[in-house]
Amino acid sequence: MPAELGLAALVLAFAVAIYAAVASLIGVRRKNSALIASARNAALLTFPLLLMSAATLLYGLINQYYQIAYVWQVSNPGTPLFYRITALWGSQQGSLLFWCLLMSLFAFVALLLNWRSYPRLMPYVITYTMVTLAFFIGLSLFLENPFARYWIVPDVSAPNGLVVSNVFIPANAVAPDPTRLAATARGLNPLLRHFGMIIHPPMLYLGFVGFVIPFAFAMAALASGDLTTNWIKATRRWTLIAWLFLSLGLLLGGRWAYDVLGWGGYWGWDPVENAAFIPWLVGTAFLHSVMIQEKRGMLKVWNMVLVIFTFSAVIFGTFATRSGLIDSVHSFAQSGIGAPMFIFWAAVTLVSVILILYRRSRGELKSEHAFAGFLSRESLFVLNNVVFVALALVIFWGSFGAPIASELFLSTDITLGPDYFYTVTVPLFIAMYILMGVAPLSAWGAMSARALGRALIVPLGLTLIGLIFLILSGVSGIGALLGYGIVLMAGFVAIYEISRGVNSRHRATGENYLRAVASIFSRNRRRYGGFIVHLGITVIGLGVIGSTLFQQETQQTLALHEVLRLGSYEMRFDGIDIGQVAEDDRVMDIANVMVIRDGHELASLRPRFDMFPASEGQAAMVMHIPGAYSTLENDFYVLLVGVQPDGRVTFKVYVNPLINLVWWGGIILIIGTLISSWPSQKESTAERVKLRRGKSAAAGAVV
Amino acid sequence: MAQAAWEKPLSSAPQHKGITSSGRWKYLVGGLLILGAVAYLVVSGMLSGARYYISVDELTGNQAQYLGQNVRVAGAVLGETIEYDSENLIITFTVVSMPEEYDNLADALHEAVSDPNATRMQVRVENQVKPELLQNEAQAIMTGQLGSDGIFHVSELNLKCPSRFIENQPDQAIAHPGV
Repeated sequence: MPAELGLAALVLAFAVAIYAAVASLIGVRRKNSALIASARNAALLTFPLLLMSAATLLYGLINQYYQIAYVWQVSNPGTPLFYRITALWGSQQGSLLFWCLLMSLFAFVALLLNWRSYPRLMPYVITYTMVTLAFFIGLSLFLENPFARYWIVPDVSAPNGLVVSNVFIPANAVAPDPTRLAATARGLNPLLRHFGMIIHPPMLYLGFVGFVIPFAFAMAALASGDLTTNWIKATRRWTLIAWLFLSLGLLLGGRWAYDVLGWGGYWGWDPVENAAFIPWLVGTAFLHSVMIQEKRGMLKVWNMVLVIFTFSAVIFGTFATRSGLIDSVHSFAQSGIGAPMFIFWAAVTLVSVILILYRRSRGELKSEHAFAGFLSRESLFVLNNVVFVALALVIFWGSFGAPIASELFLSTDITLGPDYFYTVTVPLFIAMYILMGVAPLSAWGAMSARALGRALIVPLGLTLIGLIFLILSGVSGIGALLGYGIVLMAGFVAIYEISRGVNSRHRATGENYLRAVASIFSRNRRRYGGFIVHLGITVIGLGVIGSTLFQQETQQTLALHEVLRLGSYEMRFDGIDIGQVAEDDRVMDIANVMVIRDGHELASLRPRFDMFPASEGQAAMVMHIPGAYSTLENDFYVLLVGVQPDGRVTFKVYVNPLINLVWWGGIILIIGTLISSWPSQKESTAERVKLRRGKSAAAGAVV
Repeated sequence: MAQAAWEKPLSSAPQHKGITSSGRWKYLVGGLLILGAVAYLVVSGMLSGARYYISVDELTGNQAQYLGQNVRVAGAVLGETIEYDSENLIITFTVVSMPEEYDNLADALHEAVSDPNATRMQVRVENQVKPELLQNEAQAIMTGQLGSDGIFHVSELNLKCPSRFIENQPDQAIAHPGV
């Protein structure tokens, strides 16, 4: 029953999304406001329908309806309730449905919030969001249906009948025995049983689908001819929210890799990681360049290109992950959705580019100002955009371009390893940090080198002090110090700009410093939230430099109470518990080790070796779960590698300096983004006024 | 009526000021410099990071040509040959040549390991914990160099295990006798 109900809701959502897309387009062309209103209602309806569809699949997962193939593949009777729920996005079909649900949620909220404020854009927004949604629902419905069920059909080759998975009941088919289904069900991939992996995919999906809204507004602006900054104002917050989720998704993915994959690192330049990083880079470029259009009326074509490029990267990233195009630990199974996704991606990009060219040829996307000088803020922002886009392109080339081009044109397959990414991205990241330090100090319009130099004195001085502190604490090497210096300066500029704001507020109003901080943040959340984001990126940069350049590792086999030394740490092996059986039947070998520094016992760690036993139709699986002693200074990270026949135990140990700054920087970045996207007092009043005006305008337009 | 408010009247927009020709040159030269720098980075990155993807047959058939070169090879893992020295972190196993084009990875891997005439190659991985996916009929995608000892020394090992990732093939175990 849940399968039929979920399927019916999915079919309805598909039909309703197509109706909304077509009706709103016809409505706007024929100026038929009743049809537009109907399209809007239909578009709103997609969310409850998809919610119902996803809820029925969830019901099936929780209540163990193993005849539903998806439920059989991602859970079994031993799966705890929590993982039953998260299994909703644990594999291809469920995650595609979940993706559609999130996209419809974004469209739902955007339609409710923006309907009255931007009446000219909204019909086209419906069309673009619903076309995209209908496409993904179509994939779910026709190619990766989560409600397909197992049936046994008579077959001459199989005496017990042939097991097929089908949405509808095949002729002469019978349902398999429920007990047999439960006994053979597979269970969730052990690699995915981790908190980071539970919320990493939804965060990434929210980030990905979030960019549909800015894209739809940009396309609506091009289609409607409303090429003012309306589309940018409408999507500013959406872009920030999508960017926030994408950042969170990337960070959680890194954390999962660090905690579960057991190689001491968090970023491996894997094609699928890169596929999620590319939209983040282009989205970041877009977040900066829209400011130039708002302030100076420039870069109108460029902003359109960026938003399309971001959405295009999202679709390509999804295609790359789900089509089986690339080999990766992250990839879903080889699937039939590759070709349609590629066609959709190409069509979306083509239509968007044609629309831009059309509006440009009519002179509707002309800049209102020219660039006044190399050091003006707009010039530096453009340079920043160039760096972000260059990063996106070289990463794309390394992950997808070169392998595909070599196969097509050179009759040989070439892949590019981590060496390529280090060579290419490090100089570009250095340029990014330099610009992050310089651009906030320059002014809109024009800026002389002397004035910019003067503004840099204080941050440079602070950076020098920071570097002296680092040298005194033992950091050596020109490369590392240069890296730290550049990153630190970007952070000090952010702090300096915040302190300048606080000081001038304090002088102008006499408010005490604490109050002045609150005032400047509440009055210009976007600017000062942005500086907090810069601070977060600075802290991440420090963590990346420390953990990449100064990582130490060793591997030793220890007898009971024997000690190994690494850096300033010692580790004593205190024993091992072999063959512990967990709730989900995994068999664990757990070592007990003591971390010691300067003679003090700091922490007892329990690195593990988990074995998921083989079951019918499924091979055994082994995981090395590290133990870590974390401080802001470094992580002492221990892997239990193996138990020797003589009872000694082999460990692999890493000291990862400053690695926790990567996660703390991520938290700062998220706080900064939240501050930036929170409506300021001034803005909400203006929005309310606009909303009131919009209401009457909309009433006038519709009636 | 509301239509009028949506478009910013052109007359109210500030006059578009063109960039002087010397200014344009400056931007053009700047742009070309950036493009040149990025192109240089890509080329030098490709020289250091490129790995040729070849088959087991190609590698073992042209040993002299590929000796000491960084290449990427994919093959089917022969489960019974997997040996792991967890004290010294050394993994050795044999991979079997498999076709480059196939419809179903699981079938291709199964056929490869069942074919006694398929080319086999010994593989050695050092300083790596045995990955959880290294098992019989997994696909090993390996980067490394062929040594003069005829053994492929792997620096980077990726594994794909179709029994785990291709989940849409229902197990015939569901149709058990007596059902």
